[in-house]
Amino acid sequence: MATGQIFNPNPTVFISPSTKSSSSSRHLLAAKKSLWMNSGELSEFVSGNVWEDNEDEGEDNEEEIIDQDEIFDLIRKIYDPEHPNTLEELHVVSAPQITIEKNLIKVEFTPTVPHCGMSTLIGLSIRVRLIRSLPTRFKLDIVVKPGSHQSENAVNKQLNDKERVAAALENPALLKTVEDCLSGRD
Amino acid sequence: MSAERLVHTWFASERDEEVIETVSEISNGTISLLNVVKALGEYLTSEEDSLRTKGVEFLSAVLSRCPADKINRQAARVLTTFYCSKLEDSETIVPALKGLASLTKLPSSTSEDVPSILDAIFEHVRMNGLVQSVRFQVFTIIDTLIARHREAMKAMNNNFLGRYIALVEGEKDPRNLLVAFAIARVLLIEFNISDFVESLFNITFCYFPITFRPPPNDPYGITTDDLRQALRGCLNATPVFGPLAIPVFLEKLAAGSPTTKRDTLETMSICFPVYGSALARSQARKLWNALKLEIFQPTDPITEEFALRTTQDLVKTIYAEQLSGGSDGDMVGLAQDACEECMTILREPEKSQAKPAIKVLCAFMSTTPSVAQYTVTQTAPYLVKLYTKSDNIASRPSVLLLLSELIAAVRDSRKDEESESFELPLSPFKDEILGIVSSALRNPASRDPALACLLGMVSTKSLLSDEELGFIVHNVDEILSEDSEDAEEASAPALQLLVTISLKASHHIKEQTLPLLFGMLPDDAPARDAALARARAWRILSALNTLCRQPELFESLVIRLNTKLDLLCVPLTPPSPQEVEPRAAYAHSILTTLHQTLLGKVEEGHADVAKYIESLVPRLFNLFIYSGLVSGKIATDSRLLTVAGNIIGAVVQNTTVRRQESFVQALFAAFMDGRFEGIAEGYHKIPSSNVFAPFNDSAPRKQRNLVILMASAVLPLHKEIRIPVPDLSVFLESVLTWTMAETDVDSQRESAWKMMSSILNKRSADASTFVGNMLQNFWPQNIANRSLPSEKRNRAIQIWVWISKALLVCNHAQASEFTELLFDVFDDADVKWSAAKYFGDVIRTDSVLTKQNHASIKMLYAQRFVGRILPRVTAGAQDPSEPEKQISYLVALTSLISSIPKTLYIHDMPKLVPLLVRGLDLPDHNIRYQVIKTFLSVAEEDSAEAISDHISTLIDSMLKNSTVENMPFVKVRASALKYLGVLPKIVRYDILHPHRAAVIRQLAVSLDDLKRGVRKEAVDARTAW
Repeated sequence: MATGQIFNPNPTVFISPSTKSSSSSRHLLAAKKSLWMNSGELSEFVSGNVWEDNEDEGEDNEEEIIDQDEIFDLIRKIYDPEHPNTLEELHVVSAPQITIEKNLIKVEFTPTVPHCGMSTLIGLSIRVRLIRSLPTRFKLDIVVKPGSHQSENAVNKQLNDKERVAAALENPALLKTVEDCLSGRD
Repeated sequence: MSAERLVHTWFASERDEEVIETVSEISNGTISLLNVVKALGEYLTSEEDSLRTKGVEFLSAVLSRCPADKINRQAARVLTTFYCSKLEDSETIVPALKGLASLTKLPSSTSEDVPSILDAIFEHVRMNGLVQSVRFQVFTIIDTLIARHREAMKAMNNNFLGRYIALVEGEKDPRNLLVAFAIARVLLIEFNISDFVESLFNITFCYFPITFRPPPNDPYGITTDDLRQALRGCLNATPVFGPLAIPVFLEKLAAGSPTTKRDTLETMSICFPVYGSALARSQARKLWNALKLEIFQPTDPITEEFALRTTQDLVKTIYAEQLSGGSDGDMVGLAQDACEECMTILREPEKSQAKPAIKVLCAFMSTTPSVAQYTVTQTAPYLVKLYTKSDNIASRPSVLLLLSELIAAVRDSRKDEESESFELPLSPFKDEILGIVSSALRNPASRDPALACLLGMVSTKSLLSDEELGFIVHNVDEILSEDSEDAEEASAPALQLLVTISLKASHHIKEQTLPLLFGMLPDDAPARDAALARARAWRILSALNTLCRQPELFESLVIRLNTKLDLLCVPLTPPSPQEVEPRAAYAHSILTTLHQTLLGKVEEGHADVAKYIESLVPRLFNLFIYSGLVSGKIATDSRLLTVAGNIIGAVVQNTTVRRQESFVQALFAAFMDGRFEGIAEGYHKIPSSNVFAPFNDSAPRKQRNLVILMASAVLPLHKEIRIPVPDLSVFLESVLTWTMAETDVDSQRESAWKMMSSILNKRSADASTFVGNMLQNFWPQNIANRSLPSEKRNRAIQIWVWISKALLVCNHAQASEFTELLFDVFDDADVKWSAAKYFGDVIRTDSVLTKQNHASIKMLYAQRFVGRILPRVTAGAQDPSEPEKQISYLVALTSLISSIPKTLYIHDMPKLVPLLVRGLDLPDHNIRYQVIKTFLSVAEEDSAEAISDHISTLIDSMLKNSTVENMPFVKVRASALKYLGVLPKIVRYDILHPHRAAVIRQLAVSLDDLKRGVRKEAVDARTAW
């Protein structure tokens, strides 16, 4: 950010639980599907995509619906505009703060400090990421956690006002900052 | 030819020939250099400028090629005086410098000449009036003089230095600077520079930091780094630069770009030790403040890393003189201040600044022993106290994480030290740390960092006693035995810790952990609907697989699992029908575990694998032959047989030729003659009254299935081993007939084909009759024969492919006849599809004919094959005259391409791309998948050109393959999307731009795909566009 002002110079970093899908839940998932063990179950870490080598898969078109975790996956890696940490590490976003009801997705986020001037930018980044990554049938509602920000209403209003969001994204400098947050910095 | 004539000719022609001729005349003594000078006389004194220039030029050209022994001292002195005088003349200065450059290199040029040469240069040469190449001659002359007559120049000292500095000031060309920096380093180190410090500082530091970027295709090949290194050689040449340099460094560090910052940091690192500890100490505060900024508010991780290293070098410089074991009082200054500063920050261990703070403290571990000792003594107890006293329970995991980093840093700092004489820095605190860590293990939130602490301690050489290791194993075992989700989360790092311990003290694992895990493994198979119990069993097996690589532990594993298998597969009371499959599946998972552990051992090169041919292998044969022959519904499942076969194969693969020899005798005695006693030994008693003849036509399926085991045991045999049958051709023939029988199941057949392929590959000389029969009888009767049912013919094609492959890999003379025949059926509706689809399999690397299996693999066999076949297949796929055949060729092409390494076809990409794009419309999803994979694999290479011409069809096809309506197969959709996501990275934007809107619109559809994996690729692809 061009302005030198830093709203929270030393935020708390949370130890994120291992991001890999844990082997235990993987075992359970596989055990529910089949009696037979795949040799892949024996290694603790599965790398890459499971679908790659699964030759006989394909017919099985069981629907996997978009859930909390999938949405969380989309936004956890967004970077905080102020710090070299992700929103997940700073506990700005978390899976339980996401709710899905049919075609309405509500994402709640917690600014690290109540006076954080970056809140709108964070919210905007979340919105842009989700607009780009979710089917158009979803309506997005992005709000700060109640009581976590001194100008909660103003921020919420700004984030959910279509025209204002559109206007903000017309601003090349702002869009660049958002892109930086989304892609991680170099 | 006389000198005069040569000179005159050259003046007329200016050709190199005359110069060469002159040199050779001088070399063989016909003329002397003096003759040449005399002959040049009139030109050298000519009134005409250009003649004078040319005269000197000729002389210099001759001199540069003249053999050194033809120029005596006398001549050298004369030439020196001559050239020096020519420096006065602005017309001759350029060739004169060239001459001097050659002359000064000659042995006959001595230190006597130095003053006059230098005087002439300093007096007459004005650098800013000369072009680069001439200035380069000047630098070369001085460089040569310094190299050869250093003492003479040192005697001149001030007289030389002052004038030299004035001469080189303002030089900008990188080629000249490289020489100038080399000269400057010598001056700085060896000359008395006391009167010129500031001016020398100015002519070196003015280039810092180097910002030179070599132009593209730079013919001189000078890199930024060359200059940087050369300049650094000057900057750290003398301690007197220190006081002047530090402010420059600080300024560049504060204001620079990341590259400048890194350059500055690295330069500081190498300068500190030269500038000395007194200066470092007096500037410590300022330097630390600047470095701190780079560490605590880093521009990027690399610069941060550099800053940490520079801090280390600063600390090392300051405390270099102190020996270890000094009192804390010696630490006054930076080490103490920085330590305290960092520890103050650690007071809030969960905050983001704690991370860089612990990094600084960890960095101190790799400085001097005394600083390391001091840092540990301060930090370790502080963190322990922070953990125990902390009011904030929530911050405990953070404290442990910091502690684990410290422990790892202490460990790594001592890696190269062999001596164990003095105390380990962590020893005094290990009891306290073990105390808090073992209590932290019980709390799920702090489990991971606690395990990290333990891992650091366990992997520190000689820190923990055997007893303490046992204590840790005991504590960690509790996590494994705990049946909760949290405990399962932690099992991976817990196992990693146990594996580390097993490398040092495997008996703890054997005595404590293994009994626990074996005890947890259920005796009976979990029922069909007991997914939780099944997952738990798998988790334990997975843990065993990770742990039991060490010979001693693996032995226990084999014994315990073997017993379990015997009981599972041959229970006392026959299992009920609904029990059979879960039981078989459980046995399968146990076998899989054994196989995977064995593979892990093979990979790590363990020698004990071979000995299992005496125990594990006979026991498996015993169990399976018993089940196939006597009774048992479980160990007759082909899936179990396959894994058991893999285990046997892995063991046989690693046994010696000798042992294989006797093994194969017993193996064939069993399978060919029914004498299985020699190979099957174990728990189950097999009555010898049972007839074992799996190759018999009337053998029941259960017996025929056992051929899977035989095949796996034959695949890894060495070439030298003769197959113990009277006639190999007859044997292969009979196996062939056996596999063509209608009743067989796929897995039997395939195993037998692999066995045939492997034998033929290694022993083709013994089986020439068989090869001939294949071509003369088998092909016309079983494949070309259109009256046979297509199913049978297709099966025959698969056999054909296996045989072709065996011969091709060993460069057999008849291999090409086999592949040629396949083209014959490309228009045969019944078999063309399999002929084309399996075509690539002929060359595809598989798990059978491998180096590990001791196959006979000839060099470049794939290159030859592809070189012969690819043009033909490509041409066939392009030829529209016979549409039927064209499709077959196209299929064969996709099959071929997906089987071979991309280096073999990457040059043909422009021709292949349009064909491959057509392959995306073929009605077989596997082919489409292979084609997309091919596109993906060449995406990294330079395929952009080839693709760009077909971009719009390519994008359309990929989009079509990415939607559910057009493509029901998940992996095709996902890979098509993945490829779309790669395109923006490899194809120029202006080519993609016209498609952008359409692609983004179309990708939105895939964002709503039913499958998560597909959606993920769609998200990535869309982001990329």
